[in-house]
Amino acid sequence: MAKILVVADIKQGVLKGSTAELLSKAKALGAETAVVAIGSNIESLVPELVSAGSDTQYIADDAGLELFSAGPFATCVVEAANQFDADLVWFGFSESGKAAAPRVAARMDIACATEIIDVNLDNGIEITRPAIANKVLQKVKVNTDKLVAVVRAGAFEADESVSGSENVVKLPAPEADLKAVIKELLSDASGEIDLADADIVVSIGRGAKDQAGVDLVKGLASDLGAGFGSSRAMVDGGFMAHNKQVGQTGKIVAPTLYMAFGISGAIQHLAGMNGSKVILAVNKDPEAPIFNVADYGIVGDLFEVVPVLREEIKKVRG
Amino acid sequence: MKILTTVKKVVDVELNIHVESGAIVEDGLQYVINAWDENAVEAAVVLKENNGAETTLVSLGGGDMTDIIRKCYAMGIDNGIHVDDPALEKADSSVYAKVLQKVYETGEYDLIITGKQAQDTDSGQTGIMLAEYLSIPCVSNVIEIQVVDDGNIKVSRLGDAGTEIVEVALPAVVTVSDSINEPRLPAMRGIMMAKKKKIETTDLAGLGTSYDEVGGNALKSEVVEFMKSETRQAGQKFEGDAAELAVKVVDLLANEAKVL
Ligand SMILES: Cc1cc2nc3c(=O)[nH]c(=O)nc-3n(C[C@H](O)[C@H](O)[C@H](O)COP(=O)(O)OP(=O)(O)OC[C@H]3O[C@@H](n4cnc5c(N)ncnc54)[C@H](O)[C@@H]3O)c2cc1C
Ligand SMILES: Nc1ncnc2c1ncn2[C@@H]1O[C@H](COP(=O)(O)O)[C@@H](O)[C@H]1O
Repeated sequence: MAKILVVADIKQGVLKGSTAELLSKAKALGAETAVVAIGSNIESLVPELVSAGSDTQYIADDAGLELFSAGPFATCVVEAANQFDADLVWFGFSESGKAAAPRVAARMDIACATEIIDVNLDNGIEITRPAIANKVLQKVKVNTDKLVAVVRAGAFEADESVSGSENVVKLPAPEADLKAVIKELLSDASGEIDLADADIVVSIGRGAKDQAGVDLVKGLASDLGAGFGSSRAMVDGGFMAHNKQVGQTGKIVAPTLYMAFGISGAIQHLAGMNGSKVILAVNKDPEAPIFNVADYGIVGDLFEVVPVLREEIKKVRG
Repeated sequence: MKILTTVKKVVDVELNIHVESGAIVEDGLQYVINAWDENAVEAAVVLKENNGAETTLVSLGGGDMTDIIRKCYAMGIDNGIHVDDPALEKADSSVYAKVLQKVYETGEYDLIITGKQAQDTDSGQTGIMLAEYLSIPCVSNVIEIQVVDDGNIKVSRLGDAGTEIVEVALPAVVTVSDSINEPRLPAMRGIMMAKKKKIETTDLAGLGTSYDEVGGNALKSEVVEFMKSETRQAGQKFEGDAAELAVKVVDLLANEAKVL
């Protein structure tokens, strides 16, 4: 039976949905599961880690782990992987995962794969992942006994019926990385809906033009209780925070509904949202590439369309 | 300060890519500098302009690299090393990182700047693995680099909880995001000068190593098949009076797609 260690995705003390998704997939593969949770004051998460589907919980809880630092983070993962004798180590899709996975692979001298969307364990380890800005899929054969992987956002679904058992193992605090010291964390605006969690994502592009345009579409996002994201153009323009960028270098989202306003649909943007269930695009250029991926498209000026959309949506949703 | 930047030649992602019988169709492909490596080159040149530095780029594999290296010269890079070895055509991030380790060891660099990922692999591993193999610090997904003094830099990194300000002791590896800068268009004068500059070409033996030693004969993973990605179909597109369209589309979202 394969052993799969999932690295818990914890953000500001909250366990993110990807942890349950990865554990559910591990269980579906018939694997023995463990989770490693790394941070400060996180022991209270144990019940959640169990119900998410882990059979063993490795906990590295230390004040020194409050802020993310890839080196010590990787040390904890390697320690858990060794104690558990994991065949597969999975990270959820996050900047922490992307930074730590190659370190874990280098230290354990095993294969590393990022953005995996599927795993097959029938004949050794084989994974599937997109490459070249999502233009192709690759099937990759793993030649080492073990694999470290980062799972692409939205690849696996959580199974509510899955659960685990409590078996907590405490890990020693790792040594701090004295050569790369975090001096400060400029925290993202909290209180806003995390794009990764949102059921509906409303996004703006350069077509929103100015602050009035941003506020207009933001109003629609708040009516819907949706996550509010953007293309890189609006981040570069200083209208949106970096953590709101959807795309290859931003967040990868796969909501039920993605609404794109004034976004042309560059491949780097599409790579971050074309896994959405339904896409609505509003763009005044009928030739905009975003229409090639949109289920519903409105050719029009967003400044005219958004106000009437808001009214209609209010009517429908009550 | 001595800066090494890594530059990979990759397939142009803006063009169509066709897959046939498990492989990418070579016909019609074009090759360009990896976009994130262009950001790395720009970052190196900016550090050189602001703080004084000797900048070297290295590229592994890729066949003819003349145009790409000349372009980087024209942007302001001082030296170019091309490690051209047929054995490097089918390598993985770990192999590339081990070759880069050899390059690093021949040059005593203070700072290595790589792109956050290569557009052909989209894997984002090479720079981070290189730092591990060298046992030096690494910060990935960096959007700003400042020199503190001879032995230290301060970088901003986009992390999960926000922007992390990290002080890093040199030597170190930094992998950069495209948000770090807007790569410059080289001026005519730079382009002319670049034509006269030499490109140092070497191979694995020239670096004192072999494909075997860098793990090339025991790849940890390999791509066995390429497949078409599931492309979405264009759906319904409407033009006309905004108010009427809003009614129609909201009805479709609510009652056809059932997502409202
Ligand atoms: C290495 C690299 C990584 C990148 N990563 C990302 C990434 O992660 N995310 C990302 O988004 N981009 C990324 N980009 C940038 C990407 O290539 C595009 O430049 C960017 O997505 C364009 O943003 P946009 O669609 O908002 O702007 P534009 O391409 O300028 O499009 C604006 C659109 O708005 C429409 N419009 C204008 N006015 C109106 C109006 N009144 N009403 C309706 N429509 C209107 C126009 O018709 C146009 O289609 C990356 C680029 C590179 C090179
Ligand atoms: N063959 C190569 N030659 C030079 N640099 C490379 C090569 N492969 C990877 N790199 C560097 O490592 C980064 C990450 O690559 P990857 O791990 O493939 O995503 C790239 O942006 C390059 O800077």
